[in-house]
Amino acid sequence: MIDFVQNTVDGIMFGSSYALLAVGFTIIFGVMRRLNLAFGATIMLGAYVGTWLHVNYQVNVLIIALAILASTVLTGVYVERLCFRAIRRDAALASMVSSFVIWMQLEEVAIHLLPERTYPFPSLFVVDAIEVGAFLFRAEHVTMLVLAVAMVGALHLLLHRTRFGLALRAMSENPRAASYMGIDTGRVMLCSFALVSLVGGVAGYTILATDEQITPFFGLWTTFKGLIAMMLGGMGSLPGAILGGLMLGVVEAHSQWYLGNEYKDLSAYILLFAILVLRPGGLMGRRILSREELAYRRV
Amino acid sequence: MDDYLVTVLSNIGMISFIALSAYLLLITGEISFGQQAYFGLGAYAAGAATAMFELPIWTAILVGSSVAGLMAMVVGALTLRLSGLYFSISTLAFAEMVRLILLIVKVQVEVDGEMVGPDGSNGFHDIRWMFERDISLTEFMFMIYGLLALVLIALIWMERSRLGMVFRMLGSDDLLAEMQGLNTVRYRILAAGLAGGIAGIGGALYAHFTTYVEPQFFNVMLGVHALAYGLIGGLGTAIGPLIGVAIDLGFLEAVRFIQGYRMIVFGGLVAVLLILMPRGLLDEERVHRLKTLFSRRNHAGARGP
Repeated sequence: MIDFVQNTVDGIMFGSSYALLAVGFTIIFGVMRRLNLAFGATIMLGAYVGTWLHVNYQVNVLIIALAILASTVLTGVYVERLCFRAIRRDAALASMVSSFVIWMQLEEVAIHLLPERTYPFPSLFVVDAIEVGAFLFRAEHVTMLVLAVAMVGALHLLLHRTRFGLALRAMSENPRAASYMGIDTGRVMLCSFALVSLVGGVAGYTILATDEQITPFFGLWTTFKGLIAMMLGGMGSLPGAILGGLMLGVVEAHSQWYLGNEYKDLSAYILLFAILVLRPGGLMGRRILSREELAYRRV
Repeated sequence: MDDYLVTVLSNIGMISFIALSAYLLLITGEISFGQQAYFGLGAYAAGAATAMFELPIWTAILVGSSVAGLMAMVVGALTLRLSGLYFSISTLAFAEMVRLILLIVKVQVEVDGEMVGPDGSNGFHDIRWMFERDISLTEFMFMIYGLLALVLIALIWMERSRLGMVFRMLGSDDLLAEMQGLNTVRYRILAAGLAGGIAGIGGALYAHFTTYVEPQFFNVMLGVHALAYGLIGGLGTAIGPLIGVAIDLGFLEAVRFIQGYRMIVFGGLVAVLLILMPRGLLDEERVHRLKTLFSRRNHAGARGP
């Protein structure tokens, strides 16, 4: 029983960073109706810039964090310009493939920056664990959760209390109507890329500070975790992304504990496949319209 | 020809199968991130057929292709209700499931005093058909291209037939296709099965060419590259994906002097290409224009240029 609770809590804590990654994917999908495959690579390049500073100049943790955030935002803007703005609106597939090749490109830039396989990443705390009764929590996990909750709270305020948030929501609802209402859709797109890159940068930083190392697989890893978490919840749904992230974290923690390491990813994929087959549209996403409804809409 | 060139050309040929497989689904309007699963299943099944059960190579390729095709049909039937990105991600999830299961599965039998068969994360060693039969790399390359030509001819023939038209119709508007009285369920499963089967042939050849396969090779990178090939080369004709493969792999070999900066250059080039031509080099429009150009040449004088 103690194991079960401990694993669940650990899963929720680690899952909160998955949730942030999923939020990044889901906001871009909402605004663009296109998938940004370069999101993970964006975070990876930012993290590599930070690690590069750490390895070569041993700078302060705060400067590393700021460098990571600044470079993820810049990279995010680069991806938006090249793969999304420049490509016709109806060519969603071209955007996706374009963002994929840019992923490869960013990854290579990152590897040029730091060519070895693993690099140390500065951890946040010296304290290892916090004991609460029979339970043991890593300080990094707690920070992860606190930061994620703060980010989601800030995002919620941004989306529901500001003009930019209103414009962003209007665009995810109906891009054409939004532009008729005088919303500068190009600017909203650019700002939302900058915004999600910032969210991704925070998620990347906390994950790396927990792992205390970075490898060239980080881009692929973040892409996968974010995508799975987003799809579990349903695309374009913010609460869905958060739920999906937490669920992924919990399932991974339990399967790793009870089944072993090689089943950790496998059970996540089985869960994803099962949910997609049984509940198309994810847990909280807009339901995929049935064919009859779609047909009636046309008429 | 030296072995190096033969290896490069053979790789281009074998990867072309998975590119064609992704292309076939693309024209029916489905984006699959998971064709590498069928490539992998084909490789394992065909490898098992020759190495463990000592079947002839053609039977093995048939086995690989049908195992992959049948599995693809099952997955196609399960994911019928999904569309767009939901479909893409479900194929990705399935492919990763296959890869991770192959990392666990250990089935080995004793053949000639040695244990052969899939060995979990150590991969599947000793698919030695080429050595046992004393087949040279060049001979095998011709086999690859022979099969590729067959598949290509079949695909081009299919595109001119009613089936091809139905597939393209599903791709541009599946609701309209259904309203025309077409059984879209049957056609979608058929397309999935055919695409899986084509990828399976590629996998079967790959297993025998390299004599060794490991699950790690069939990761999502292979699948997304397969998708990208179709989009780079163009979605207008089955030649398109082959051009995509040749550009990518050929380019990679041709520009070895900028080793290490390849993806930076190539990624940028493809991104610019996709801005200019969002459906690839040979898209439907250009294919149509080329075709009319041809027929005009054939009926010279019928109408001025």
